[in-house]
Amino acid sequence: MQLRDTVTIALKAVTGNSARSLLTMLGIIIGVGAVVLMTSVGESMQSVILGQISALGPKTIALWPGKNGPEQGAATLNPDFDSLTFSDMEALKRLTTITDVAPIIFVEGKTTYGKEQSDTRVVGTTPEYYLNQIVNAAEGRLHDAQDELEGRAVAVLGPDTAKDLFSNQSPLGKRIEIGNQKYTVIGVLESVGSQFFQNMDDRIIIPFETAHTVAQRSYVNMVTAMATGDPADAIDDIQFLLRRRHHIIPPETGPATDNDDFLVRSAEQAQEILGTVSASLTGFITMIATISLVVGGIGIMNIMLVAVTERTREIGLRKALGARRKDILLQFLIEAIVLTVLGGLIGMLLGLGLNAIIVGIARKFLDRYIFALNPIAMAAALLMAAGTGLVFGIYPARKAAELSPMEALRYE
Amino acid sequence: MIKKEPAPLIETKSLFKSYFNETIETPVLFDINLRIDAGEFVAIMGPSGSGKSTLMHILGFLDVPTAGHYHFKGESTEEKTEDELARIRSTNVSFVFQSFNLLPRTTVIDNVSLPLLYHSGTRPSDRPARAMKAINAVGLTERSTYLSNQLSGGQQQRVAIARALVTEPEVIFADEPTGNLDSASGKHVMEILQKLHKEGHTIILVTHEKTTAEHAERIIHIMDGHIVKDDRSFARRIASQVKELK
Repeated sequence: MQLRDTVTIALKAVTGNSARSLLTMLGIIIGVGAVVLMTSVGESMQSVILGQISALGPKTIALWPGKNGPEQGAATLNPDFDSLTFSDMEALKRLTTITDVAPIIFVEGKTTYGKEQSDTRVVGTTPEYYLNQIVNAAEGRLHDAQDELEGRAVAVLGPDTAKDLFSNQSPLGKRIEIGNQKYTVIGVLESVGSQFFQNMDDRIIIPFETAHTVAQRSYVNMVTAMATGDPADAIDDIQFLLRRRHHIIPPETGPATDNDDFLVRSAEQAQEILGTVSASLTGFITMIATISLVVGGIGIMNIMLVAVTERTREIGLRKALGARRKDILLQFLIEAIVLTVLGGLIGMLLGLGLNAIIVGIARKFLDRYIFALNPIAMAAALLMAAGTGLVFGIYPARKAAELSPMEALRYE
Repeated sequence: MIKKEPAPLIETKSLFKSYFNETIETPVLFDINLRIDAGEFVAIMGPSGSGKSTLMHILGFLDVPTAGHYHFKGESTEEKTEDELARIRSTNVSFVFQSFNLLPRTTVIDNVSLPLLYHSGTRPSDRPARAMKAINAVGLTERSTYLSNQLSGGQQQRVAIARALVTEPEVIFADEPTGNLDSASGKHVMEILQKLHKEGHTIILVTHEKTTAEHAERIIHIMDGHIVKDDRSFARRIASQVKELK
């Protein structure tokens, strides 16, 4: 008896009752399909997010007033948090480890153009902002030092904002209203996509001086900058400087503490956080897949036990014709493995198909969403499926092999 | 110089067989002493429950005796492992069953090839030719690609005989081969068995029908687990040959 014969017999047994085989494989199909789909979607999402961060540059640094801890980040939603002052800005600009320091004031109020209305974020900042965000004008121009000096009422729009307010018209030279103040549109930014699930193409930028006057605020809501070297050094310097200026109890360097009245992050750190998130997501998917494969394996064992009972006479016949225990054992074991591997392959195709559909839909919303795969996860899922067949096939196969030929032949 | 007599093909000494159901022992065969030589055509005959099938299963290595000795080709079989018994089943003996026992939804040629899967002496590339040779011998050449369930009962039993022939075994055991057939098909099957016997095959037939048993040269009558009569008279042989001529 050769292995090829055994595989042929197994394939025949599986295809001979294809409806039942398919139902048997369902657990494995779903398990492997889920793994392939989830890891592919994860991979795509990760490349979308990482792509944006790298477009932003790993050296971009963001600084907010606020508290570390459970209410982390709340300060950006609370414009009254006033710990970062203009003199802090001047001190930050003197640091050598950062450059292109851009203070930001958020300006409240609806933006209108004729009948069109928008709730877009209005960012009052200096021209350095364009440098540390690595963004250029697609149309018109960006605002410059002269605009700042004169505190001009000019605005640069994100491409999505421009589309919202002006449809297909050119916004250049048009007058929009923010709050009760009129601004002339001087430029439209190029598209940069989303960043941490915030659409960066939907924003309005006005000169810092103008925002300062309009908002009547003597503190900033956010600061962005660019590290000149290692972003970690830049963060250390910023922490040291601000803790000393704000008389925060030591440590003067080291990780953020509850005493800090500011938060500082680099895009690189964000990448690391993302890595952790994606690792725990992978763990979660692996757990679901394992459960699914075990359930699928029990299904396989169940049906193989039925097959052994159903084919007792066939086993008896094969033994009467000279089959050894080993031949019967192998026949049923390989049948179980064929079932699981076939189920695994079907699941894989199903996962890939669903992923292709998701990619098609996601493309409509996220330009940068790409079709990505995780070949390691796919191979692992398939191997695990085959392993399931092996483990859960052993018991029924042994049961079949141990039948005495005479008893098996007599079985009704 | 004494010429050594060749060992008999089958020889049993004081063979006993009991079935055990938990604590209850049901004896089936008592003190069976039997000798069958190569080339014989033997019918084991008896009413149902007499133990004739059990005896055939033991002789065919499908079952083991509870006590006593069984020598096959002069060799003791008591100490044989399960794999060695499987090897004897694959090379030395073969079976024709009452209910045919063909694989359903499987072609004639695949059914006939089945024993060759377990037959170490046949290369995979030689299987189709050997199977076709056996199919020719039972006159089913034209039906070799039919599925087993597309054939009549008589044809199915002929496929089973071809399957028994394909490994060219030393003994063919037939357990009530005509039991599930109409008389015409049954007659045809017996004619094939007789033809095989004439070509030199050893055939051991189990039946409860006198008309079927009479095709054989020798009839062993069994009753309640005992051999009651071993009829190998000259008259039997003549009668068998006359039957063949008809």
